Amino acid sequence: MERFGTFTIFDILIKYIKEGRIRLDKSRYAGRRVTYHEPCNYARKSEATFGYGYYEEPRWILSQCVDDWVELQPNRRDQICCGGGGGTLLTGYNEERIRYGERKIRQIRQSGADLTIVPCHSCHGQIKGVKDELGMPDLEVKYLWELVADCLVMEE
Amino acid sequence: MSRTSDPAALERLDIDRFVDWPAPYQYCLTCGLCAGACPVAGIDDFDPRKFVRMVSMGMEEELVEARWPWICTMCGRCDSVCPMEIGISGMVRNIRGMRERDKVPGGLQKGLEQVEKTGNVLGLPKEDFIFIVEDVAEEIAEEPGFSGFKVPIDKEGAFILSTIHNKLINTQNEDLKHLWKIFYAAKEDWTITSDYWEGVNWGLFTGDDRAMRMMVERIILQMDTLKIENLLWPE
Ligand code: SF4
Ligand code: SF4
Repeated sequence: MERFGTFTIFDILIKYIKEGRIRLDKSRYAGRRVTYHEPCNYARKSEATFGYGYYEEPRWILSQCVDDWVELQPNRRDQICCGGGGGTLLTGYNEERIRYGERKIRQIRQSGADLTIVPCHSCHGQIKGVKDELGMPDLEVKYLWELVADCLVMEE
Repeated sequence: MSRTSDPAALERLDIDRFVDWPAPYQYCLTCGLCAGACPVAGIDDFDPRKFVRMVSMGMEEELVEARWPWICTMCGRCDSVCPMEIGISGMVRNIRGMRERDKVPGGLQKGLEQVEKTGNVLGLPKEDFIFIVEDVAEEIAEEPGFSGFKVPIDKEGAFILSTIHNKLINTQNEDLKHLWKIFYAAKEDWTITSDYWEGVNWGLFTGDDRAMRMMVERIILQMDTLKIENLLWPE
């Protein structure tokens, strides 16, 4: 793989924002309580495997899109898994997976946020699935790049 | 889960069974920090300390057949608190990999076989893939600010190649749009490929290194053919 450059989604978004290649309008989500869930693989597991965890990058991107967002507790290296990791969305052990996910939902509820931002497909599928299962239409889940796309300022 | 009160199971105990693993499980202090940190502890009677004990007693059959290694999400919380740096989530993956492939639970193995045969988890033919992608592109082009939007497919020499999660092609087409709109706004020179577009690597979950390598090699092959230097792997 060394022959090629690889970008994480964080690298590329930060690059576009810093180079001024995209402009973002912070007012689009004004008034919403937003929080960030970090996926095990970009954070704790990346730190353990590659010696580097992506903790600050997504938070910086988030701050370019919304003025006021809150942390989940605990967070960063101690963040709890959403329950959708390790392929559990596909093993068929759904009862266990949903019980696991309830912890995540409780943690989100405690933060008071109604919009949770995630940069991972598994986390997105899991948190959305569990909150639908528990009947919580007021909680919304979005991808980090979805938030960025929603805030894009386009000419024309 | 069968218990060790079964004499046959006692016979099978073999403390050297996993000695070749790099994980220093013999040094487990049974302190229970891992169990305290594990969000699944308690579900189905599982907790990582028990798992480590079973490994150190060499209870291979019980471990390989148990639901536990599949209920654990390999989140690594146990690893990050373990004072002996035992690397529990890696051992879980090893145990998963020891299961006969046709006994891998749920859709994971079927998906992997589909990838091997057709290049993607869905087994979707190339024409259908292109149809879906172009349809989504047309919808984007109708949004204000995105007129003329197109998805560059198999573009030689593009600056960046982006892989795609199969669920976005399968049922969640709307979610394809976000990243593509950002590329457009940033005037990026990007592309996707019509053959091996799949970015999900389920070999990571089933403990299958061979399958993981196969998928990475295919992506590299395309980057070589299309002379692309950078990869974005948003999965
Ligand atoms: S945290 Fe580590 S040392 Fe403590 S019980 Fe778990 S595996 Fe053993
Ligand atoms: S990796 Fe598995 S055993 Fe360890 S804390 Fe996470 S879910 Fe629990």
